[in-house]
This record gives sequence, C-alpha cells and structure tokens, in this order.
Amino acid sequence: MGFTITEKILARTAGLPSVRAGDEIMAKPDFVLAYDFPGYTDVIFKQLKNDFGITKMAEPERFGIFIDHMVPAISPAEEELHKGTREWTAINDVKLYERKGIGHQVSSEVGYATPGAFAVHFDGHVSQLGTFGTLAIGLRRNVLEAFAMDKVSIRVPQTTRVDLVGRLQPGVMARDVFHHIVRVLGPASCRFQVLEIGGPAVADMSNDALQTITGLAMFTGAVTAIVNPDAKRLAYALPRARLKLEPVSSDEDATYAARHTIDLSTLEPIIVIPPSPANTRDLKDYLDVPVQVGYLGSCASGRIEDLRAAANVLRGRKVASTFALNVVPTSQEIMVAAAKEGLIEVFAEAGAFVSSPSCDYCFGRIATMAPGQRAVSTGTLNVRGRMGSPDSEIYLCNAAVLAASAIEGKITDPRPYLQG
Amino acid sequence: MALKNLRGRVAFKFDEIDFDVDQIVGVKNIKTTNIDELSKAAMQEYDPGFASAVRPGDLLVGNHNFGYGHPHYPPMKAMRHMGIAGVIAESFSPGYWRGEISMGFPQISCPGILAFVERWDEVEVDWAAQQVKNLTQGTTIAFEPLPRGDLEMLEAGGLETYLKKRFQTDTAMRNTDHA
Repeated sequence: MGFTITEKILARTAGLPSVRAGDEIMAKPDFVLAYDFPGYTDVIFKQLKNDFGITKMAEPERFGIFIDHMVPAISPAEEELHKGTREWTAINDVKLYERKGIGHQVSSEVGYATPGAFAVHFDGHVSQLGTFGTLAIGLRRNVLEAFAMDKVSIRVPQTTRVDLVGRLQPGVMARDVFHHIVRVLGPASCRFQVLEIGGPAVADMSNDALQTITGLAMFTGAVTAIVNPDAKRLAYALPRARLKLEPVSSDEDATYAARHTIDLSTLEPIIVIPPSPANTRDLKDYLDVPVQVGYLGSCASGRIEDLRAAANVLRGRKVASTFALNVVPTSQEIMVAAAKEGLIEVFAEAGAFVSSPSCDYCFGRIATMAPGQRAVSTGTLNVRGRMGSPDSEIYLCNAAVLAASAIEGKITDPRPYLQG
Repeated sequence: MALKNLRGRVAFKFDEIDFDVDQIVGVKNIKTTNIDELSKAAMQEYDPGFASAVRPGDLLVGNHNFGYGHPHYPPMKAMRHMGIAGVIAESFSPGYWRGEISMGFPQISCPGILAFVERWDEVEVDWAAQQVKNLTQGTTIAFEPLPRGDLEMLEAGGLETYLKKRFQTDTAMRNTDHA
C-alpha cells in the first residue's frame, strides 16, 4: 500500500524510513512559526529563558516570527509587546516580519510554504501552507514544545481526501467550496485528521482559492489540510522555498479514512449564519437580511482574487450610506498588486475604508461592532463576540456576496451585478 | 508514573453537538481573569446552582465534537477552580482537546457516554482498563486510548512540567553521549 503526503513528510522529519497513520512519533519541524500575541510569544520567550535556560536559539533559521496582530498598536502595552518581540528576534537572529501582512499569507510569500516541509505554529490557520504541499499544523500552547525541543510528539494523522471536479459558476468562490465541504461532510468529519484536497479541478484553481480552502480546515475538525503540489503550486513555491527538499505527493494507492467527491459546477453561493462556522446555509434563503458592517479581508479571504471579485461588483457603484465597508488586503504584496490593478481606486470611489494589512479587523479589535449590529464578513469566524459585542452578529460569505450586500445594505446575491 | 483514576459524579451533561465551551462563562466574560469572578459567571445559563452542587473530583460529560468553534481557556479554568477533574465526551474538537490536555486537564473520548450516564451518577475513569465505570448503575464502557504524548502530558500535570522532564532527560542523554 502507498503512503499519503502527510505520512511521507512525517517519516522524513521523524528520521524514519516510513510511518503510518496512527503511529506515535517524534518529528522535527522544519519551521516553527508564531505571531506575537500576549499569553503566547511573550510567555514562550520568558519560559525558554527561565524554565529551559535557553538564551540563544540553536537553529534560528528554523524560526519565523510575525507582527500582524495589534498593528498598528493602540496602547503602550501593545507597543511594549512588539518591542519585546523585536528584541527577542534580534538577540536570537530569528527572522521577524513586521507589517508585511497577515503572517499565514506572508509565510507563503517568503518561502515557509516549502513543498514537502513540516511547519508548526500555535494558530491553526497556518494550515493554508498546505496549498503548496507543506504540512502545517497549529499546536496552540504546545508550540512551546517546538521552541524548547528539537522534536514534537505527534500521532500520525489519518487523511480524508476530497476530490474536486467540475468548474465553479460565476459568483461562486473558494469560500463557498469550503463551507460546502463543512456542510456535506460535517464539522467533525475530519477530526484529528488531515483534509487532503485533490481531484481534476485543482489544476485550474488559483493558489488564492486553495489557500482559502486549506486555511479554514479546522472547521471540519481537521488538524490541517494539504494539496499534492502540482505545476502551478511548485511554480510559485519553489523559487521562494527556504529549504531544498524533494516535493512529495500521496501515492495513488495511499490509504484514506474516507474519500469524497464534490462537483463544483453544482455549487451555489452560501452564507454561514451566526454563531458557528458549522452553520452553512443557502444564500438564497437569507437574502434581504439587513446588514450594517462589512469586512473584506483576513488570512482566509483578502487576496487578489477576492479583491477582484469584490471590485467587479463595486466598480462604478457606491456602498450604501447605512453601511460601513472595511477592505483589508491580506498582505503588503497583495495591496501593491491591487493598487497596480486599480482595485484600491474602485474601493475608495465606492466609499469603502481601505486599510493596510492587519489581523485586527477579524477579531473586533478595531472596527468593533456594537450590540444589535450585523456584519457580512470574509473573516475566519462567526462565533459570538468575535468582532465586538456578544450581541452583534456575523454572516460569513464570499467576497462578491459581501460587495453586493455592501451596495444594498442587506444580504444580496451578487450574480445580477456580474452580468454585462 | 501511572495516572490516578478519576472518580466523581457527573456534574453536568452538555447535550449540544459541536458545543462551544465559551458559552460556559458567556462570551462577555471571556476576558475576565479573576478566577472567582469567572467561576461566579460560569454555568449561569445552564444551572445557576451548579457551583454550590459541584464537589471536587466531579466530571463533565459532553456530546460529539465537544469544544468546536474558537475555544478559550477561561471556561475550563473556572471549571477546575470549582473542582471539576475532567471531561468525558462522545468526541472532541482537536483544538480544544490539545489546549486542555496541555493544561493537564484530563479529556476522555468515549463514544456512547451520553446514554451511559445520568446526571449525578458516580463514575470512575479507569486509565489502565481504558474504561469508564458507572458505579451507580454497575456498568462499564470502553474509551478511546489517548496518544502517548497526551498521556505523558497528563501524567506530568501539563505541558510545562512534561517538557521540563523531557528536556532534562534529553540533556542527560546528550551528556552521556559525550562521555
């Protein structure tokens, strides 16, 4: 029997000839990533010194730190946190990426999405590195293990494979594909497993689309998601790769816990209603629900493909006077591309507030919602209080739906706007 | 070092599938750091008498995919403060599981547990037998074996102690290698 891409990557990093799902192994991550956040990095930096006597990281090139939350800082305490992060990375010769964009996206841009590599973070949305055949797992507090020790203890996960076939209809996007997966497979379908995305449709899909799908993997219960890197993925990732590794892929006869096929041509735009990412619904059943706030951005959706989709709807139109639209490109690289294409102009002319990249809109640190307000959002999550008051609501949708809803001030099907 | 069996009553059954643990204290209290205040806020929506009824060693029971959503640590910090010694659920959401195991807080994945116990039944989690025993009803049910790393973390009492132990062993081994 063959092996999954996950088994191959973990075998190499465990220094073993082969491993199988279920094996208990010690594996050495190629990359250990984190963004600075109170209770995580500041604590870890202290623990390394005080509990483990580590005053200098032995292999600094394996580590990457991002400043993407609390950007810009709104209090001295936040700036102090960033200061501590800058000091720690400087002392340890660890790479720091500050104000370059949301770290999970920047990670791909600067080569941590090395095909065949194993990366860990505390935040699970790092799973989006899987687009390029990188096994990237969020460990929460356990990421300390990867900072303090060479190897992390892991049970090799099983894999659920989803094959995508067919082509998406206009107005339907990667966001709809992901939430459709949650809907038909279930929010616990891939618990403790890897969600492997494959099938003939993948070759035609953009990196952006696959980053959206893989980045949200946790809401299927998966520990991460991964794609067998094809020519398009390798063309992006190999020139940027930080390690010389042989890219690996799942064997034809690899063993999967389950296998599903999704025909993209049958999908319609969806909406995910509060207060859970498990609540996938048909957009058509929620049309005309009044909304006052919109967030286009996040590590899940805020890439050039999303910005183009929103701009196509907004071009020459105005955001409703009752509506506040925030547009936040995921990274500086994306913001530059959007500016060159004239998309920033479209958003500004439509009346949107366009911000430099930051994670802060996604969790209500800024653009904080009041009780009774309702948002449409391409952010990662719609749990209560995520973007402000526990008595505000978040409806997750794709970028085109968001843009159409911004124009009308109510949840709106974007497809009429895309004709002509 | 073997884990000590858990023994206590089922202090509450969370019937909801994909249960978001933040609801235990309420989202508006999720940033509360004072443990007494947190404990006071906990369970108000479910059973206002919970804190006075619970005894040290009691356990919680949950449905499938317990801990789904975006789990924070305060709800279970409050539960431990009130004496709760562990959670037995039909199944767990991985992010929640990882977070609580790292706190040294036992989580037991046990398909069938919801129908196996009534609230306030006395139960025992037998680690060696990999069984939950319902002492009130005189029945037993198997639970799923924990990954080795997770068991070692529970035995150590949490992530920090576990890592410190491993760190010392590794350093000792390195020193031996040199000698």
